[in-house]
Amino acid sequence: MSEKLFKIISKVMNVDFNDLNDESNPSTIPNWTSFNGYVLLYELETNFNVKFSIDEAMDVKNIADIKRHLKNHGVILND
Amino acid sequence: MDNEESLSKYILDSEKLEISNFSKKIKIAFLSSFTINGLSESLKVKCSKKQISCNTYVSGYNQYNQEILDNKSKLYSFSPDITFLILDTRSIFGNLFHFPYSVTDSERENFVNEKITEIINLINTFNDISKSKLVITNLSLPHYSPHGIAETKTNYSFHDAIIDFNKKLKEKILNINSVYVFDFFKFIIKYGENNVFNFQNYLFGDIKISLDYIPYLANELIPYVISFLGLTKKCIVVDLDNTLWGGIVGEDGFNGIRLGPQPPGNAFIEFQKYLKALSQRGILLAINSKNNFDDAIQVIREHPSMILKESDFSCIKINWNNKASNMSEISDELNIGLESFVFFDDDPVNRELIKENMPEITTPDLPHDPSLYSEVIQSLHDFSTFQITSEDTQRGQMYLEEKQRSKSQNSSHDISEFLKTLELEVEIKKTNSFTIPRISQLTLKTNQFNLTTKRYQEKQIQKFSENKNILINCAQIKDKFGDNGITGVFIVEKINSVEWLLDTFLLSCRVMGREAEKAMLYYIIKQAKKNNIKKLKAKFIPTPKNKPIEDFLSNSQFYEENGFWIYDLEKPFNIPEFLTLKEE
Repeated sequence: MSEKLFKIISKVMNVDFNDLNDESNPSTIPNWTSFNGYVLLYELETNFNVKFSIDEAMDVKNIADIKRHLKNHGVILND
Repeated sequence: MDNEESLSKYILDSEKLEISNFSKKIKIAFLSSFTINGLSESLKVKCSKKQISCNTYVSGYNQYNQEILDNKSKLYSFSPDITFLILDTRSIFGNLFHFPYSVTDSERENFVNEKITEIINLINTFNDISKSKLVITNLSLPHYSPHGIAETKTNYSFHDAIIDFNKKLKEKILNINSVYVFDFFKFIIKYGENNVFNFQNYLFGDIKISLDYIPYLANELIPYVISFLGLTKKCIVVDLDNTLWGGIVGEDGFNGIRLGPQPPGNAFIEFQKYLKALSQRGILLAINSKNNFDDAIQVIREHPSMILKESDFSCIKINWNNKASNMSEISDELNIGLESFVFFDDDPVNRELIKENMPEITTPDLPHDPSLYSEVIQSLHDFSTFQITSEDTQRGQMYLEEKQRSKSQNSSHDISEFLKTLELEVEIKKTNSFTIPRISQLTLKTNQFNLTTKRYQEKQIQKFSENKNILINCAQIKDKFGDNGITGVFIVEKINSVEWLLDTFLLSCRVMGREAEKAMLYYIIKQAKKNNIKKLKAKFIPTPKNKPIEDFLSNSQFYEENGFWIYDLEKPFNIPEFLTLKEE
């Protein structure tokens, strides 16, 4: 499932899949603007059938944070 | 709901677009009172699917006042063709959105009036500085009110104030040239407030249209692009069996086809009503059907549930010929280019034939379910015009009259005999608020009898009409069969004290071949002589479509000199006796 997550991020941020890791964040991904960050969360909600709270949305600073919140919503990511 | 791609797909696709690829180009600016990221990307991608290069400018967040008031702003240096000003109820109402009842009803009304004045002032400033068309949104009506169910028992309530705002905005803008209201209120009705507005989106990023609905909003803006570029379709060509009625008349018989008040026959009635409404606003209808003529025409003439009558169709082809050759004939008879047609046929083989042979024609795929037919046409967005002119609403009638003329022409032995019987009358009219939109429309849409094919928006026509060095008129053309309305335009530049130049000279295809152009030219020559002009100059700019006018200048005694065509005003010019020229 991590692969699915990374594929979505790679698509939304227009960045090579292999360049992504848990530490990737707005400073390492040029396209990760605040608006694209929101588009990303929206895509994740649609694809994983979850709904992030505004606290969770505000808390996302890197990919590891996204994984943590997805897991809290019961999404199983096989790392 | 028609399916849409996700916003992220549009954003990605827009980055890959080579926007200068297409010959049709448009520049669009977006101003807004909230975050509308993704809208310009969605519109660009949608335009590219229609072979249109769309270049956009998006102003800073909530910067619309500054952009409009500063005549050196980036908005003006971008020089857009269309500017969208997208407003929302929360921004306009400010504190009154949450606390509308902290003030009295008359204060609420004053507030609305002040806001309208502010916006109209802004629009006027924009209009003074920019040539762009301006499209401003009205306000959506939130279901929320602090008064709850008592809202409807409240004098000049919060909701009344919003509705009043929209009404006043429309009234004020109705007669301002080049400014239009986009009905955002209706957009929310179409998709629903609970879908389009999302509190998280709003609180997180002041995003007042949730991300998945931004591509839908872009769809609604496409008609402005189509209309601006003069790409509006003129005619829908329909099949009959399983398109205007259910079943096959040749097999099921007059009584066996499905057309009537009960389902599934009522789906076809619904679709026919939709087509009829389109024809009433100027879209022509034609039939292209493989059938025995007698079987099919009997249904059209006699079936009690037929909504569309024979007289609603400007051209009827019911035969066993190949549908592509029928299409060519329809195009010739109506004198309309293939790119102005939509072909509507339930049979995928026929659709493929047309797509293959006539790619210029819009040929939408049809669902199996006829109850969805109207939606297919609606989703094309191809019939929109900024304004409906009286010529639009009478077009179907005019084409019918044209049919009678052709019949009459066939019965006359030669063309001059025929023209004599027409009792043609050409009235030269001045520019005013009624004729300016039509003059602009004619310059945008006329391809064939058009000397220079220069396209002018309303604002430009307005400027010409105020310029004393420009002679601009239009011609209303009538004959014994009826009134064709304003169907001719000329624009003459008074270059100096001895020379005038024909900038634009055109006739709608509807009135070609009747020598009305001679009356228009006669009028210009008369005016030039009055002003002691010696030479009337002209240029013919050839295009793939304006062959019908290529011999006009040489046939009218113009001679070639230094790249121009010249008419020597010493020479006499007469108009044929059968023409009556009137001047307003």
